[in-house]
Amino acid sequence: MTEKLTDALLYLDGVSVAFDGFKAINDLSLTVEHGEMRAIIGPNGAGKTTMMDIITGKTRPDKGTVLFEGEIDLTRHDESAIALLGIGRKFQKPTVFESHTVQDNLELALKRDHGIIATLFHDTSKEQKDRIDEILDEIRLTERRSHLAADLSHGQKQWLEIGMLLAQDPKLLLVDEPVAGMTDAETVETAKLLRRIAGEKAVIVVEHDMTFIRDLDVKVTVLAEGSVLAEGSLDHVSADERVIESYLGR
Amino acid sequence: MRLIVILLGLLATLFSAALPATADEAELRAAIAKFSEAKKFSQTEAVIEEIAALGDPAAAPALNALSEGVLMVRESDGAVFIIRGTKDPLELLDPVTLEAVGSAPEDELSKVKVKNSIRRQIADVVSGLTLRASDPKVRLQAAATIFSRPDPEIIETLDAVIADEADPRVKQAFIEARAAAVLDSDLSSEEKVEAVAVLRARGGRDVLPILTSVSTSEDEAVAGAALNAISAVEENLMFWAAGQNIWYGISLGSVLLLAAIGLAITFGVMGVINMAHGEMVMLGAYTTFVVQEFIRNSAPGLFDYSLAIALPLAFLVSGSVGLVLERGIIRFLYGRPLETLLATWGVSLVLQQAVRTVFGPTNREVGNPSWMSGSFEVGELLITTNRLWIVVFSLFVFAVLLLVLKRTRFGLQMRAVTQNRPMASSMGIATPWVDAFTFALGSGIAGIAGVALSQIDNVSPNLGQGYIIDSFMVVVFGGVGNLWGTLVGAMTLGVANKFLEPYAGAVLAKIFILVLIILFIQKRPRGLFALKGRSVEA
Amino acid sequence: MITGFLFRALDRKAILVALILLAIAVAVPVSNLMLPVSHPLHVPTHIMALFGKYLTYALLALALDLVWGYCGILSLGHGAFFALGGYAMGMYLMRQIGTRGVYGHPILPDFMVFLNWKELPWYWYGFDQFWFAALMILLVPGALAFVFGWFAFRSRVSGVYLSIITQALTYALLLAFFRNEMGFGGNNGLTDFKDILGYSVQAQTTRASLFAATAIALAIAFVICSGIVNSRFGKVLVCVRDAESRTRFIGYRVEHIKLFAFVVSAMMAGVAGALYVPQVGIINPGEFAPANSIEVVIWTAVGGRGSLIGPIIGAIAVNGGKSYFTAAFPEFWLFALGGLFVATTLFLPKGIVGLVSSGFAKLRGPREADRVEETLQPGTEAAQ
Repeated sequence: MTEKLTDALLYLDGVSVAFDGFKAINDLSLTVEHGEMRAIIGPNGAGKTTMMDIITGKTRPDKGTVLFEGEIDLTRHDESAIALLGIGRKFQKPTVFESHTVQDNLELALKRDHGIIATLFHDTSKEQKDRIDEILDEIRLTERRSHLAADLSHGQKQWLEIGMLLAQDPKLLLVDEPVAGMTDAETVETAKLLRRIAGEKAVIVVEHDMTFIRDLDVKVTVLAEGSVLAEGSLDHVSADERVIESYLGR
Repeated sequence: MRLIVILLGLLATLFSAALPATADEAELRAAIAKFSEAKKFSQTEAVIEEIAALGDPAAAPALNALSEGVLMVRESDGAVFIIRGTKDPLELLDPVTLEAVGSAPEDELSKVKVKNSIRRQIADVVSGLTLRASDPKVRLQAAATIFSRPDPEIIETLDAVIADEADPRVKQAFIEARAAAVLDSDLSSEEKVEAVAVLRARGGRDVLPILTSVSTSEDEAVAGAALNAISAVEENLMFWAAGQNIWYGISLGSVLLLAAIGLAITFGVMGVINMAHGEMVMLGAYTTFVVQEFIRNSAPGLFDYSLAIALPLAFLVSGSVGLVLERGIIRFLYGRPLETLLATWGVSLVLQQAVRTVFGPTNREVGNPSWMSGSFEVGELLITTNRLWIVVFSLFVFAVLLLVLKRTRFGLQMRAVTQNRPMASSMGIATPWVDAFTFALGSGIAGIAGVALSQIDNVSPNLGQGYIIDSFMVVVFGGVGNLWGTLVGAMTLGVANKFLEPYAGAVLAKIFILVLIILFIQKRPRGLFALKGRSVEA
Repeated sequence: MITGFLFRALDRKAILVALILLAIAVAVPVSNLMLPVSHPLHVPTHIMALFGKYLTYALLALALDLVWGYCGILSLGHGAFFALGGYAMGMYLMRQIGTRGVYGHPILPDFMVFLNWKELPWYWYGFDQFWFAALMILLVPGALAFVFGWFAFRSRVSGVYLSIITQALTYALLLAFFRNEMGFGGNNGLTDFKDILGYSVQAQTTRASLFAATAIALAIAFVICSGIVNSRFGKVLVCVRDAESRTRFIGYRVEHIKLFAFVVSAMMAGVAGALYVPQVGIINPGEFAPANSIEVVIWTAVGGRGSLIGPIIGAIAVNGGKSYFTAAFPEFWLFALGGLFVATTLFLPKGIVGLVSSGFAKLRGPREADRVEETLQPGTEAAQ
């Protein structure tokens, strides 16, 4: 594909995927611009996680187009290739490498050559070390840098994972329920952190916490039964009849 | 001609010896006794006629003896004997039962005289006695005897017999026997071509030498027909050979099924890697051995029921060992499949050594009950009874297990726990006990598999080791968590193995299969019939 | 580049272990050759041979630990790589027999003459040269591991499935090597060796040299492993073990990483097998038996997987125990081994090394102890 089909950073069109006849994603279309932050909400089973699986190459769609930067067909790449293209993902359940230190976690995630020779022989450069210090500062884990990740609290693990995303220096961040299990204060801090990131990088946030979504103050997409139900500001979508219906059920 | 008559006579003797003495025997003895009074050939002929009229195949030995000049009369009392040996005194045999009844000096015996016309008469009568015997089994056997040693001289006799024969099966056998004889004769070319057609229709390996011998005949019509017939028969035989391979394959598949089906439960349903599964099979086999020993020593009459008695016991023995294993070790290792694998391997070593200590390292003898020995043929297929029973038994076990899983409360609970453990638990299912009993069930089934396998394999402490890799292959190939997959997997591997064997040899065939499975797993990591859904993904 | 690797490799622990091994490599042969038999420090030849064998086992266990302890790949077929390395060495040793065989054929080994073979099979070419055999000792196990791993890791066969098919692999090789037609001596394997590099394999000096070579090989392997483990690659290995899909999502090609570790490990196992064969004087298909490969796993587990010293300690301890038991109470060895499997998995998930280090940690303070405890739990794949 030589010619750009779209200027959007992420472009999903008519994407469908079914598991054993159950349509997890049904004709889903979505675009995310460069530097945009987008919140995605939707009831359980709306297909939020499956959508992320498709974008990150974990699940292959049955049909539809998934383009990154207007020309890269994401359905043709696997997880690691997509990560290297510049899409980072934070999981619903925080997953950090528990038997490594906080600093090692960041070093491992740092954007650089991940080939075998490089990982075996290359040292971490001065700039890279500085970058890690910066991120540690950003996620407020400088003091715990040499602790094992396993020792962190739940909220700290969430932040470490966000820090790892930053270290990857992606163009697009997919963040799945970043504030689940956080205290109110932590939630506020997380919202601030994500808003600092956005602008430079595009961010897709999936969250259930409506206060958090309100704090983010960005365009909201509502998913239900595998397709987009409504899109717009939080106030706009929460006034939508169909959205209320799908959340409350009939 | 003489040879065939002797053979038929022997055949007759065999059958008459096998049959209980009847009232006819007295009549026969009376008739044979009349030889002592037959001074002229015409009288001898009359006695032969009389014996022929009795239609008892048991007369054949006496008649053949007469023909050979060894039927003699003891001068002192006029009793008739067949004599054996040439050394004086001669050994005397009863003319009907052929039992040795004593001896007598040569000069006290006189031979019943025969001439060639009488010999011919005897030949006709003897073959008539078997070919017209009242028992159709005797007649069939007679036909087979003629078939295997075709003799043109008997064609006329056969023609007469065929015309009179009422039993279509026997009649067909006679026609085929006649065809074989025709091909050995100097009858017309048309007759021979017709005979070739009869043999071609009969088929089977044993018509090939007969057809081959005429395929070089100078008569082109006959030779051509024979060549055609040979290729047709061979094609037919290949078909049967394929059938035989399928049968061997199913037989092997059923053994694999038996060995793997318990594993399909513990590995497939519970996700537990039980490396001691083979030892559960071994325990079942040793249970059979113990049961048979006990029966031999205390109630030999029950031997035929030994397997029926061993089945529930083996289920209990292996099942309770499985229960202890689950409660004692495996339950601490759920969610750590690799550790489970190692721990159960350790258990397998302990069980092997325990059995070796108690029963010794050598093979122990486990007998086949009478109803499991022997074999029979279907067309060209040779089917041994014990294999047939194992096929039936494995399918039976499969069906019962399927019913238990689908139709019982326990099965429902088991499936619930498999699919969603926390939910099952919150609905009041005692998941630890479901685990324990599921494991016990899988182990118990391995035990009854051991009873069946004790019938075809050596019962030794290493019995289980031989099955463990194969059973894992079956379960992995068939797809985890699906009993139908196990059935299809076992049968496919069994048949594939037996089809490769003639080309590659047993060992290479096995290597091939292993390599194919290794490649197959790359393609479909979850096997043929993979369960889809999140539970198996975790 | 290489210096950085070496610098990382030679941490305190690695230096210590390497020095100990080198000291053994010198001291044991010297004591065996120089000291009189009556001397209290004299190491008898049979003890030296026994420990030489243990050291090859230790190398094999170290190789397994690299993939199992660090990368989470439980191979139940590492004995296959060991045996292949052993056969490569055995083929070299067979070619060295020359005309001294029973049949005195200048080229063909005895078993081929016995089978009435007229020509050397093509795959025996080159094995009369030591350099070629040495190359094959690395390449054959490495190539098998590469092909097998390429397929398995690319299609993401992992966990117990991988373990089962590695077992099937070694089982298939076991069956294959039993066949006379394979040209590797069938049932009897390769034996009756005479010379290695021109020296008699029976000579005491040769045996001492082989012992020294094994200890040095183990030291080198230890340093290489230490370098791997301390590099970023080693940290990624642990990531793959603990959270494979997470590792993918930060852009590491997990299948390449696994494949590299697997091939390196297979080559190490091959070297171990090659050192084993001249010391025990025989290689036969029995080395491919699945049970052997599983036993290697227990050495590693007993010593402590996920540490480099653990497998070495485990291999020597378990095999020492085996030698003692099979001599003193042959009936009980399998009970002991079986019990060891169960006890280790239930009570000692991190083996002797884990026990010792958590003991040390407890001495240092309760908080530390907890931390070590926690990290001892094997990581679980938490990524969805």
